[in-house]
Amino acid sequence: MLEIKNLHVKLADEDRMILKGLSLTVPKGEVHAIMGPNGSGKSTLAYVLAGREGYEVTEGDILWNGESILDMEPDERAAKGVFLAFQYPMEIPGVAGLTFLRTALNALRKKRGEPELTTPAFMKLIKEKGDKLNIDIEMLKRPVNVGFSGGEKKRSEILQMALLEPTLCVLDETDSGLDIDALRIVSEGVNALRDKDRAFLVITHYQRLLNYIVPDKVHVLADGRIQKTGGKELALELEKSGYADYTGKAA
Amino acid sequence: MNVAVMKTKAEQALTETFETVVGKLPGSAAVKERRAEAIGTFSSLGLPHRRIEEWKYTDLRANFKEVLPPAVDDGSPLTIAELIVALGPLAHVAAHRVAFVNGYHRPELDDVNEATGLEVAALGRALASAPASDIDSLTRAEGSGAVVALNAAFMTDGAIVRVADKAVVEKPLLVVFVRSGGERQSVAVRNVISVGAGATATIIEAHVVLPGATKDAQSNALSEVTVGDAATLNHVKVAVDEGKCFHLSNWDIRLGADANYRGFQFSSGLGLARNEVNVLYQGEGGKIDLSGAYLVRGHEHVDTTLVVDHAVPRCDSRELFKGVLDGHGRGVFQGKVIVRPDAQKTDGKQMSQALMLSEDAEFDSKPELEIFADDVVCGHGTTSAELDPDLLFYCRSRGIPESEARALMIESFIGEAIDKVENTELHAALMTLATNWLAGQVRG
Repeated sequence: MLEIKNLHVKLADEDRMILKGLSLTVPKGEVHAIMGPNGSGKSTLAYVLAGREGYEVTEGDILWNGESILDMEPDERAAKGVFLAFQYPMEIPGVAGLTFLRTALNALRKKRGEPELTTPAFMKLIKEKGDKLNIDIEMLKRPVNVGFSGGEKKRSEILQMALLEPTLCVLDETDSGLDIDALRIVSEGVNALRDKDRAFLVITHYQRLLNYIVPDKVHVLADGRIQKTGGKELALELEKSGYADYTGKAA
Repeated sequence: MNVAVMKTKAEQALTETFETVVGKLPGSAAVKERRAEAIGTFSSLGLPHRRIEEWKYTDLRANFKEVLPPAVDDGSPLTIAELIVALGPLAHVAAHRVAFVNGYHRPELDDVNEATGLEVAALGRALASAPASDIDSLTRAEGSGAVVALNAAFMTDGAIVRVADKAVVEKPLLVVFVRSGGERQSVAVRNVISVGAGATATIIEAHVVLPGATKDAQSNALSEVTVGDAATLNHVKVAVDEGKCFHLSNWDIRLGADANYRGFQFSSGLGLARNEVNVLYQGEGGKIDLSGAYLVRGHEHVDTTLVVDHAVPRCDSRELFKGVLDGHGRGVFQGKVIVRPDAQKTDGKQMSQALMLSEDAEFDSKPELEIFADDVVCGHGTTSAELDPDLLFYCRSRGIPESEARALMIESFIGEAIDKVENTELHAALMTLATNWLAGQVRG
């Protein structure tokens, strides 16, 4: 279970608060969506969960399975099952996709006390996972994300997720830049991972993604706090009325 | 006007050392005469220093404090097994081999199957027996300054390589120079390479150290290379040492018409290195692709100085050099491209990049384009950067620990240069050498 308690966050080198007492609980096996206007703190929440530098938590805590993760390095969090699918996946020139995936997988396996995968076993696994996301091995021989289209980058993020099998999946604007076909492939990839032991936090600006990844709960984030929580129908309401009710001004 | 030039201790010692060893150096009387001329040239030039523009960042006079005794050909045995240990990852590259220990040829370590069109001989022997007509080509030292003059004065041995016209030599030739033994030493070696018209070959020069050998060493290595019309030469130098040695290297490349030259230099663990490459196009349509990777830490200093002379029209040059600088290490890049008035349709591109791993590291980069023709395409770029924190975060968010993520990023940076090496075994060996350096070892 993910428990975010009264989380206050600011940028390390600015005084302005971005998250101002955000509280949220996502039990295992559930998919929660976070929707909110631009600048509401959605991406900050994603980065703080993953442990990016440059943010300061001034108050509150984040517990994953009862344990605070705030003092953990990003790779320790990953070992505990935390995964962030980036809004803008990064390009790594000079590192082949396969090398990157294998390094990551084996690092996690090592931390979890499992033996490293042999090359044939790894290749078999990657082929199986890649096929489902329409990702060819040839694409993974190229440097990570370099020259990939927006859709390819997002599929590559979901492939990483499928391979590393995290238990807390945070998806930051995974639908941005996707056409309808790519959206369907990515969503199928995510839905295939839905599991009683896995929690999802799906961050999005638009309701469209939630037609494909149907959430158990929807939270509205505005002005650094959760303003309202409801079922999947809340997303449809927002699509009609916009975020004006929560920001005090017309969207 | 009489100008009394103060000689440094090292300059004096070099001249004195020459007098004591010249009798033992290989070569006929004619060669000895050339050696004497060369030391005379050196004596009048002195060691290059920072007030000479080409040596602005690498002050040899200030750094060259002590002259180490020239290595002697003591015949101490070196086994094939030891040679393989010294070669490290390079031992996995299938190649013809010619071997030199402490600057002298060791035929018992050679492995040259007389491949069609490939002829390899030892310079030491040739200096003693070559007809007068060949001496010029073996002792050339004109116009190249003090370091080359020292090479001509002190050189003991090296490989003379001839690739016959139209020959295609599939397997690379590995010319390996090994340092062994506990005696502090200096060596001077020279290779004379000529690739016949229409021929294709790959030549790898390796400067390596047997574990336990002295770390105090000075080496002066020169390669004279002629690439014939429409010939292709892949030329690689690998110098891997243990942090203290002086390595003064000169490549002198002459290209015929439509010749294709791909040069690559890998340096790690060199205390103070000057890697100089001079390229002269002698016929139209020549192409060079010159690249390199250097890894520097501690107080090491690696200088790459290129002079590419587009003397004739329609030639291409590509240069890509990448350095990883840690500790108080210093990287120097000087890239001069000259486009002569007649050299229309010249196409030249140059890039020099440094990855700074420490605040105390230093990178000096000086591109120099001297363009006298008007219908040319020439570009250059230079960058220095630290590891990208966003990329590190991306890797770490996938569970890759910080040290591994950093290593991955550094490999990614240096890999882009090493990717220029087409031979897959050699490419793998160079990546291993880079990885070993990252892990703080000397060899794998």
